[in-house]
Amino acid sequence: MQPTSSMKEEFLKKWQMGLQIYRPLIDNTSVSERRKAIKLSADVAMASLRKGTTCWSRALIQKTATEDNFLVRQMLSGIKAETLINKKLPKVMCHRKIVRRSKKILRRRQSRSAIEEVAAKARKLVKKKTQGLRNVVPGGEFMSNDVLLIQETLDYIVSLQTQVNVMRSIVDAAEAGSERTAYYLGKLKFAIEDG
Amino acid sequence: MSNRRSRQSSSAPRISDDQIIDLVTKLRQILPEIGQRRRSDKVSASKVLQETCNYIRNLNREVDNLSERLAQLLESVDEDSPQAAVIRSLLM
Repeated sequence: MQPTSSMKEEFLKKWQMGLQIYRPLIDNTSVSERRKAIKLSADVAMASLRKGTTCWSRALIQKTATEDNFLVRQMLSGIKAETLINKKLPKVMCHRKIVRRSKKILRRRQSRSAIEEVAAKARKLVKKKTQGLRNVVPGGEFMSNDVLLIQETLDYIVSLQTQVNVMRSIVDAAEAGSERTAYYLGKLKFAIEDG
Repeated sequence: MSNRRSRQSSSAPRISDDQIIDLVTKLRQILPEIGQRRRSDKVSASKVLQETCNYIRNLNREVDNLSERLAQLLESVDEDSPQAAVIRSLLM
């Protein structure tokens, strides 16, 4: 699946809405505060594309709300903002360290063939990489179900691609001088419509 | 008690081979750089997962980068310039 033009359009609209909310503050803040505002608006815009239907988007909204509650509420007004911000994320399913230790004790008692050893090592590696994935996907720590984790990852990636795609076009267009703006605006329009 | 805990974790299904194959297919469409060679399903699975993590990190880094560029731009642009007008129409 690729970022569709409707996703890009919706992202742009929501992001612009977030930036408008910050408009009165933009003149009187430092560059780093402005950067934070831009990034937060972009993240909420990206997450709100999913309208609370995915775990990563809910986790991202909650995380952003801890940094700027006002912005999130404003941007999400009309899309059940309250429930999204306050909805409890599930508790961690089990204490992995304890399970790992008890499994280790059980394993030490068994002897294994070379083939089993290789397979076990491969499984261990996959498990390690899966854990790495949990660390980069928002809300990953709550997804003990690996199948869910993979589904969420794929959706998160497509959303990130949308975010990057649109932001890149906008920033390129904004950085260009007014002579080349027409070119970049055309490119942006093309990029959004072409999907 | 430890039995209950291990039962809880094993009830969460591990990734099956079919799911790995499915994921590889989907990720190949998104990440063209993943090598075509496959020594075994499990080895390529961990590579796919690693590539995915790297890709996500890169995307996030790019978003930070773009936000910084935009913030700098808003700082440096002259209020009355045509460029400011362009930015205003793009963003606000």
